[in-house]
Amino acid sequence: MMNINIVTVIGATGTMGANISGIFASFGDAKVYCVGRDIEKVKKTIPRIVKSVKADAITKNLIPADFSMLEECVSQSDLIFESSKEDITIKTELACRVGKAMKPTAISGTGSSGLSITTIAECYPEELRSRFFGIHMFNPPYTLQLCEMTPTKYSDTELKVELENYLRDVLHRTVVEVKDSPAFLGNRIGFQFINEALQYAEKYRDNGGIDYIDALLGSFTGRTMAPLVTADFVGLDVHKAIVDNIYENTDDYAHDTFVMPSFATNLVEEGKLGRKSGVGLYQRIKYENGLSRQTVYDINTGLYRDVIPYVFPFADKMKRRIAEGDYIKAFERLVNNQSQEAQICLSFLLKYIVYSLFATEEVGYDITAADDVMATGFNWCPPLAMYQALSTVADIRELIKTRLPEICQKVDVDRLLVDVKPSKYDYRIYFKSGRKIG
Amino acid sequence: MSKVYVLGGAQTDFERNWTKEGKGMIAVLKEAVEDGLEGAGLTFDDVKELNKDNRVACFVGNFIAEKYVDQGHLGAFLTEVNPVFYGVPSARYEAACASSSVAIDAAATKIRADEYDVAIVVGWELMKTVESRVGGDYLGRAAYYEKEGKGIDLPFPKLFGKLADETLKKYPELDEKRFMDALAKISVINYSNAKRNPLAQTRKWFMSYDQASTRNTETNPLVGGRLGVSDCSQVTDGAAVVVLCSEKYIEERKIEEKPIIKGYGHRTAPMLFEKKMADNAESEYILPWTRQACLDAYKRAGLTVDDIDVFETHDCFTSSEYAAISAFGLTEPGKEYEAVENGMIAFDGSKPINPSGGLIGCGHPVGASGARMLLDLYKQVTGAAGEYQVKNARNGMMLNIGGSATTNYVFIVGKE
Repeated sequence: MMNINIVTVIGATGTMGANISGIFASFGDAKVYCVGRDIEKVKKTIPRIVKSVKADAITKNLIPADFSMLEECVSQSDLIFESSKEDITIKTELACRVGKAMKPTAISGTGSSGLSITTIAECYPEELRSRFFGIHMFNPPYTLQLCEMTPTKYSDTELKVELENYLRDVLHRTVVEVKDSPAFLGNRIGFQFINEALQYAEKYRDNGGIDYIDALLGSFTGRTMAPLVTADFVGLDVHKAIVDNIYENTDDYAHDTFVMPSFATNLVEEGKLGRKSGVGLYQRIKYENGLSRQTVYDINTGLYRDVIPYVFPFADKMKRRIAEGDYIKAFERLVNNQSQEAQICLSFLLKYIVYSLFATEEVGYDITAADDVMATGFNWCPPLAMYQALSTVADIRELIKTRLPEICQKVDVDRLLVDVKPSKYDYRIYFKSGRKIG
Repeated sequence: MSKVYVLGGAQTDFERNWTKEGKGMIAVLKEAVEDGLEGAGLTFDDVKELNKDNRVACFVGNFIAEKYVDQGHLGAFLTEVNPVFYGVPSARYEAACASSSVAIDAAATKIRADEYDVAIVVGWELMKTVESRVGGDYLGRAAYYEKEGKGIDLPFPKLFGKLADETLKKYPELDEKRFMDALAKISVINYSNAKRNPLAQTRKWFMSYDQASTRNTETNPLVGGRLGVSDCSQVTDGAAVVVLCSEKYIEERKIEEKPIIKGYGHRTAPMLFEKKMADNAESEYILPWTRQACLDAYKRAGLTVDDIDVFETHDCFTSSEYAAISAFGLTEPGKEYEAVENGMIAFDGSKPINPSGGLIGCGHPVGASGARMLLDLYKQVTGAAGEYQVKNARNGMMLNIGGSATTNYVFIVGKE
């Protein structure tokens, strides 16, 4: 096994940088130089890192540093992990600095969530390019184990295998090798779904818009958080950066679904970014007496109003069935209900299966890659498990043909479905009733 | 008298929080029973057929659903899981954290007596329905509640903290640091074993020797005397199903390669912890009735500790696993640390304990733990334990305790 005793994390005060420092310092038991712009800020981040893995014992492994010490830290390190701002200029400049200082035997990686890994690799001296990889983890890495690993055309194959083993066996990551493609695999699939949900919110704004769509695609459809709540949680600016990147740099049958609707772009411009700015698609209004009220942006009026407690008969019945562990009966409700709401819901789940299979072909190497990324990066019922779940009540191929005729004209669904196999993930875990029990 | 075969079964993923999933006991029972029958090679139709001739019965182990989910009469509740259970004899068995072992014992007895041919044992507990301090109070009823539980914050960690104190008192030559380090290592072994078990509660959690041996910190606070959080198993939700059957059924269905229950031990120690300690004065063992239950099982099986290749024990706390080491006969009483220090009980040691991760690593939904252990022994001796398979395991032994080592249950499972 690869010996990684000293690690430098660049950008350790950021959310990802901090949490990943915790992973190296705990599971990796490495001494971690936590590099940030302001060393005082880094020092203040250390307790947060310790908390992220619930282990005071790692404190001794965390060494605060600032950029003036970067070369010194890098020159001692076996692995350098860059987790700076998602900006190609910053990342390439850092790559040049790291490339000049790193040991010839060290490994370097970037946590970029979607920039070109090859472009960054090319900033390294030729003899070190083979030692550079994309190492993309998800937040929070302590609970989401996904690690998308991207070798470039320069990468050393043996080293790739060694690094993969280290990430899997020492850091306990679910490692998925992906191609150097915008946003890689998890975000490509996940944000296709979320952004299309955002588009549907606009399309169905007379029905309520944002909360209407979230009520159709909530936890009873195989996820922890409804998609637009997720967008708010991630931050609409981050969401925008991801979908813009995919829109500009890819061109597939779902290309149009990556266009962020104008109401959401306006919210970003107004600084209403979601949870981190206190207001976004949703706004929780807190009162001095401790009570609070959840409101939602109404696309028609541009005002925040109370979230509507929608009751859709199909969803209500599904939730009741899921609460009692009758998954098959829940899926029967979904497939056989002809209401507009049930049709939207089912079409999203089917589109998710098709797009996952399609994207895996483009970005991944194996059909199970989509399953791994969605289960361990998003905590969503992964596509093969979704296929299996719905297969209990319907012929998925037929269902796709009748419910998604437009997509069937654009892609060869029959061919995509050829390699579908049973998922290693248990779909039952992901379908939640959202109901209070007892 | 029939031999008692273990056909297999299933456990739920102990990482799951069913309350967060918005699912109740019907859901957990449906999933566990469905998976359990499948794991044992049975269908619901088989149950229906067997029941026509009164050949199948159900044995439900659960400690205290009356508190956690406001429900009693749990044997009958299986009729809500599937109509094939209409008419199937079924009852609930209880002995605190050893509840599903009593259920196994009752099931095995009925098979041995040729009264039923198939016995379905279902152990379960949903504990995440309440916050931990409320749950801790409920669990106090496994001790003498009036005297040892009522009004006491987290009574069980305190009782097992006392067991650690008493261990040091009983063996004055035992160095305190050596003892506490052994407890920390026990915790680390269990956590690290759990990493190989895809259904373990803590499979994603971090634990190291530094973390476990440095107690009284923010992330490893003391919870019971000298014991830290790292010394405790964590409550969780879960169910385990294991199906037993008779020799007749094995022959009828031409089933091959299934292990048998070779022996059992069942001893009850004094309820009150203080009386339990007073009672050990004449013994070299800190928990003499736990030791006796092991001896009984060895005798009934005609085996010795040398014949056992793998153990699953009741590490509700590191101090209880420590005591189990000598109770199994792996070391002399008072010298348990040797088996920790020399690597004997590690996953790749000569006598691995808790390859599943045990209660600390795999999780402890109390009413399910006994059945989960038996299922793990089944997996080990049939080579079905996947990544946590112990090589060449022919015989396995489990210890499941209820209360402060009050009810002691031991089973030995192995190939014929």
